[in-house]
Order: sequence, then C-alpha cells, then structure tokens
Amino acid sequence: MTPVHFSFSSAFTLGLMGLAFHRTHLLSALLCLEGMMLSLYIALSLWCLQLEATMFSAAPMLLLAFSACEASAGLALLVATARTHGTDHLQNLNLLQC
Amino acid sequence: MNPYVLTTLILSLGLGTTLTFASSHWLLAWMGLEINTMAIIPLMAQQHHPRATEATTKYFLTQATAAAMILFASTMNAWTMGDWNINQISHPLATTTVTLALALKIGLAPMHFWLPEVLQGLSLTTGLVLSTWQKLAPFALILQISQNTNPALLTTLGVMSALVGGWGGLNQTQLRKLLAYSSIAHLGWMIIILQFMPALTLLNLTIYITMTSTMFLSLKIMASTKINSLALAWPKTPTLTTLIMLSLLSLGGLPPLTGFMPKWLILQELTKQDLPITATIMAMSALLSLFFYLRLCYTTTLTTFPNTNNTTSPWRLKSTQITLPLTITIILTLMLLPITPAITTMF
Repeated sequence: MTPVHFSFSSAFTLGLMGLAFHRTHLLSALLCLEGMMLSLYIALSLWCLQLEATMFSAAPMLLLAFSACEASAGLALLVATARTHGTDHLQNLNLLQC
Repeated sequence: MNPYVLTTLILSLGLGTTLTFASSHWLLAWMGLEINTMAIIPLMAQQHHPRATEATTKYFLTQATAAAMILFASTMNAWTMGDWNINQISHPLATTTVTLALALKIGLAPMHFWLPEVLQGLSLTTGLVLSTWQKLAPFALILQISQNTNPALLTTLGVMSALVGGWGGLNQTQLRKLLAYSSIAHLGWMIIILQFMPALTLLNLTIYITMTSTMFLSLKIMASTKINSLALAWPKTPTLTTLIMLSLLSLGGLPPLTGFMPKWLILQELTKQDLPITATIMAMSALLSLFFYLRLCYTTTLTTFPNTNNTTSPWRLKSTQITLPLTITIILTLMLLPITPAITTMF
C-alpha cells in the first residue's frame, strides 16, 4: 500500500466513521459526506495522473459535479428540516419510528 | 408540482436506471445511481409536512453514503487491480464493500433500518416508485458482481433479511411499514439464491415488483394507510377487498397463487445444492411473514365492522382513479403459477 493509497483511503474511512458514529448535527453529517467525496476526487485524479490515462481525466470533474449536486441537495434538505423541525439535531428526526 | 418539473424528474428517474443498466464502467454506474437518488428526492419532499422531510433526509443520507462507498470500493479495485469493469471486480475487500453498499441501497437486513421509516413518510405513489423502480438499478449491479462476491456474506445477508422481515412486521399496524418489512423479506429470498442461480433472483424480483405494485395501487384506490381503515373496506369496494385478500396470500406465498412460484423454485434449487438447513430456515421465516399477511387478511375480509348498516354495500360515487395498471398487475399477481414452465424459460 503506497502512501497515496493509504492517505485517501484513511481520509474516506474517517469520513465514513464520522458519518456513522457522530450523529448530533445534520450539518456535520453533510460535511462528512463532502469529505468522503473529496477524498474520492483526490483518488480518481491521482489514479489518472499516475497511469497517465488521458481518457479518464474528465472523470474527477464529473465526480466533482455530482458531489456538488449532492451537497446542494443536502443543504436544501437541511433548510427543509430546519423549517419543519425547528432544529438540525438528528435526534429530533424521530417522527417515523415506532 | 409544476408539470415541466415533474416531467423532468420522472425522465431523470428513467435516465438514471437506464444509465446503470447500460454501463460497464463503475463510474457511469455510480452516476446512474446518483441521478436516480437526486431525481426522487423532490418527489419525496413535495408535501411539506415534517414526516416527508424527515423521510427524505433519511433516504438522502443512506443513499449518498451507499453511493460513495460503491465508488470508493471501485476506486480501490482500480488502484490495486487496474480495472474499472463492473463484472471484473476481483479484490476481496472491494467486492465485500460493494456488496454491503448495495445491500444498504436496497435495504437488506443489517442495513435495513431506514427502509420502514422512509416508506412510512411517503405518499403511496412515491412509495410504489421507491419499492419497485428504485430497486432495479442496484439489482443490475448486484447481478453483475454476483459471481465475484463472498458466498458466506450473501447467505448471511439473505437469511438475516428473511428473518428480520418476518419478525419486524409482526408488531406493525401501519400498512406502509408492513409493506417495507415484506420488501425486506422478499429481498432476502432474492439474495439467498443469487450465488447459485441469478436467473431466479431476476424472476423473484419481477414477481415481487408485480405483487407489491398490486398492493400499493389497491391501497391507493382505497386511500388507506392503517389496518383499521382496511377494516372499513368491505362495504366500500367488495370486489377489490376480495382481490386484496388474495394478493396478500400471494405475497405470503400460498400455492395456487403467483407468489408461491419463486419460493418453490428457490427452495428446490437450495435443496439441489445440498443446503437443507438454509432451505429450512428460509421456509420457516416465510411463516413469520405469512402471519402478518394473514392478520391483514383477517381484518380486511373476515371481520364485519360494528355498525348498524346491514346493507351489503352503501351508495357510493364511481371512482375516477385510473384502474388499468391495477387490473393488469392483479391478474399477474394471482394467476401466473400454472404457466411456471413458460416463465422459467423466459429468465
């Protein structure tokens, strides 16, 4: 495992762990998702730099575009949650449990 | 909702699934899944009440996490093996991560907790889309990687889903949650046979989609979301109530109906593969599911509502809802078992 490989996989794993176990605010969950997507961006761009795969060089941009869409959808949901529940605490999202 | 926006969203739903079907590259498959998620989120959140917003938030978080995990695993596979092909994924860590991520996407048992809550917060139409159309794209990927995944992991996921789907539905009174648990149990049946005969997975998925469409469409016609409102259905729509009872028994998998066919073929294949214990556990878990289907049948058709109205059916307006899709799916739900040989040759 090269240092590059280790760094982006540990960044992704840290983001995933944060998303899974640090469940207080919706905003921090969205930030963890964004961190995961950015580590994936670094992984993809370093992959096509290292292998000199010019065919693949549009892929990190596509990933970035999609992750921007995802982040904006997440922020819109954050606003919607703040308007309906009055807070962005994840433990307040408990209307549907029974 | 604005008709232009609605058209765009529905076309995007179609585009996402088609993109995932047509791609052999992991990045394109991931883009298809993301388009699918992005397209259904406005449809889920279009009613502005708190339950819809909460369900949308939960759905968004799980699906975004699962999609990121899929792309991470395929990137790891590309770094170690140098290959982006979907059916060539071979690194064991990558295949396990992809299988778990796809299980999270469709709601298999250890990762199923979002599914009943999300389905409970949606309208019946969106719930229909969520439990039928949204399953197709992940299943296309699961079928393509099925030869490279860990068999023990698939068996664990399948058995746990069938058991959890049975146990979880026992204490529910909300119909959408019941349908969510029934979905989990059926997905368990699909996953348990995946490593031995992927054609049967596809057959089971098709039949499950038909049966659950019948349930959602008929619940939509009667506008009922709880068991106690189903008890009022008999004086309202007697024919549909009878057919709902038969559809429920078909979902439970009783012999003269369609739902028996996939269970029969799967149990036969498991026995052929010399796995009698797995087959027994799956058959017993079907009994748990059958219990709550039978309870629904009991409240729907076998109880009379305690009122003084003794006429067989009261005066009522003719419904203006479109019933053609319900008619087709209800026929398929009830009558496909005699042509089982013709159907097995199709898959």
